[in-house]
Amino acid sequence: MTIDLRLTRRKALAAAATGLALPVLHAGRGHGAETINFATWSAGVDQVKAHLALFEKQSGIPVAYTNSPFAQYRETMITKFTGGAPVDVLWVSDSWLPEFAEAGWIEPVNPYPQLMAYDAETSDFCTKSMTYKGKQYGLTYYTDYMAFLYDADMLAKAGIAAPPASWAEVTEQAKAIKAKGLSEYPVAIGLAQESWLIEFMSAMVFSHGGRFVDDSGQAAASPGTVDALQWLVDAVQTHAILSPGAVQTGELEVLKSLSAGRHAFALLPKYRLRVVNDKSQSQVAGHIRQAMMPAGPGGSHATVGWMRFYGVTPRALANKARAEAAIKLVEWFGGKADGQYRFQKVVTEQLGLGFGAKPLFDDPDIRRTLNQYGDVDLMAQQQDLAQKKDTIAPWFGEWNDANGVEWQQAVLGKKPAADAIKTSAAKWDALRKLG
Amino acid sequence: MQVAAPLVSHDERAASGLLLPLGVVLIGVTLIPIAYSFWTSLYALNLRRPRLVPFVGLDNYGAVLSSPAFIAAVARTASFTVMAVTAVSVIALLVALLLNQEFPGRRVLSACLLIPWAIPSVANGLMWKWIYDANYGALNGLLLQLGVIQHGMIWLGDPSRTLPLIANAFVWKEVPLAAILLLVNLKAIPADLHAAARVDGAPAWQRFRHVTLPALRPGFTLVAVYEAMVAVRHFDLFFLLTEGGPGNVSDVVAWRVYVETFRNLNFGLGAAMAYILALATLLMSYGFIRALAQRV
Repeated sequence: MTIDLRLTRRKALAAAATGLALPVLHAGRGHGAETINFATWSAGVDQVKAHLALFEKQSGIPVAYTNSPFAQYRETMITKFTGGAPVDVLWVSDSWLPEFAEAGWIEPVNPYPQLMAYDAETSDFCTKSMTYKGKQYGLTYYTDYMAFLYDADMLAKAGIAAPPASWAEVTEQAKAIKAKGLSEYPVAIGLAQESWLIEFMSAMVFSHGGRFVDDSGQAAASPGTVDALQWLVDAVQTHAILSPGAVQTGELEVLKSLSAGRHAFALLPKYRLRVVNDKSQSQVAGHIRQAMMPAGPGGSHATVGWMRFYGVTPRALANKARAEAAIKLVEWFGGKADGQYRFQKVVTEQLGLGFGAKPLFDDPDIRRTLNQYGDVDLMAQQQDLAQKKDTIAPWFGEWNDANGVEWQQAVLGKKPAADAIKTSAAKWDALRKLG
Repeated sequence: MQVAAPLVSHDERAASGLLLPLGVVLIGVTLIPIAYSFWTSLYALNLRRPRLVPFVGLDNYGAVLSSPAFIAAVARTASFTVMAVTAVSVIALLVALLLNQEFPGRRVLSACLLIPWAIPSVANGLMWKWIYDANYGALNGLLLQLGVIQHGMIWLGDPSRTLPLIANAFVWKEVPLAAILLLVNLKAIPADLHAAARVDGAPAWQRFRHVTLPALRPGFTLVAVYEAMVAVRHFDLFFLLTEGGPGNVSDVVAWRVYVETFRNLNFGLGAAMAYILALATLLMSYGFIRALAQRV
């Protein structure tokens, strides 16, 4: 008997058809659970992966995780949304919430009581920051605020007994430190056009009792706002306690400069306290303390708070199975996993990130970790006074660029502070009219 | 009976067939995006309102041309371009004149000259960002050690210095190519002309003015046109060094296009701005070529 091994046309067509059919049959069988597409920026990647592995093991829900650098994350996600790429759960910054919500890229989570229940234990400004037009859009991933840090060692050398409680005291202490030759520019505040600028400005404005925008959404141009900018102008132009190079200095440069021992005072996100007190990363480790945000005349110790949260897309909620899986993932990360705020604890202990869950301030492990480089009670006290940014609107990005230019021009002495605030307020109202 | 030759020979048909895939790719990656981006510029396309995309015709172009921010950006771009092109032309000429001489190490120097040109634009920008840094930059370090300054200077943060410093970083990268283009022209000048001028008693400056410079006109045309086009559209250094700041002193047209399109998500307006920039570049190049060609 012979076997016919010739490749006939019939055999070739049959093989091709089988090859094409196999993936279809394979897909048709399904794996049971929907794969959830989870996108983040490149922070805490190892911690995210570890927590995801636990989630997948416990829930049986597969997760396709991707991350991209924060600097390009917003553009990357917008490209994905516009191109129809599959995204179910993602990190979102509070600054982008109105933009993403208006474009229909993320959906409210109000229909999910298991998520809404966490509001009772979340810092007020944190919940407000992920709420837009009365709807909440997720659970918090990271919550923090702008902190006022000082070099205790430098203050002691200058004969200063206590950190300043007001911006006027900051000026006097900085001048004294400069006069003693301890620092050329004792104050470090980043005023470069970058994503942190609005937070630096808002911390100054809120602590001076000012607002950018009032409760009705109109530009406020309040006296406190002008005072805040004027303080910066005077610090650069009159007292020379803040470098004119601040307009080119970003948050990372402030961190490096403070860690190099160049300044007595700095505004930095509170989570940076861990880095500046880390011997392997800072020349002034152990000297940097947090004080309550100085108060301006007519102001308070208020500061600006911000948060990032887990959002869900319309795609995630399009069918029941995927929605359940996506909501479970959001709760696993943003809420409790196995009865505790597991992920928040991990990123706080390992990365020093801030959290929005108030009970964590009483957690013994968290208290022990935070007290290694800070004062956990003072951190909690300052967080209670943190306010949500009042400039978050769909046109925030465009206004933010223009406002940054105005502030920089004032700081450089190109225009009076009052005029800069007035121009910035006019831009806000013009953009608001366009909607 | 004679058979008429085919209009298109077999070889030409074969060549067309082989080039067709390349043509398709070129159309796909150039012509189609160009056409689509022009189409986009006729709509009020803002990604923040993806469901509301009305046709506005040339309104976007009108809005751009009447925008004070855009007009100010045009002025800054013109200022940067004039600075950069002038500096590139002068320095490239000096380098070309040097390399046109015979001296030991000339070939090594010629090779080293190409290094700035070979460095990627982003690497160039980051390098200059570090050099200009007020706290730990090499420029402050050098000047402090030489005693030229007593304390670190704020370089990019000083609005009066920002554009010239960015131009400096641009010139550093562009001089090698310009020098090579001028050197080619220099090499083409017949030696007899210089010899004749020498015999007639013309000093070096007169030989340069009446023999060398006229012969360099085609080279200068090419350098001026090319460098002006690059300078007008330049984005990398503005993105890496200043992001349009401090204030808005380095807010040039290319930066404006980026901000409008990718930060404000206003694709329609951004596309219109980009087309205006492209048209301006084209007209400028045409003007250059005509003006300089008329004198040749």
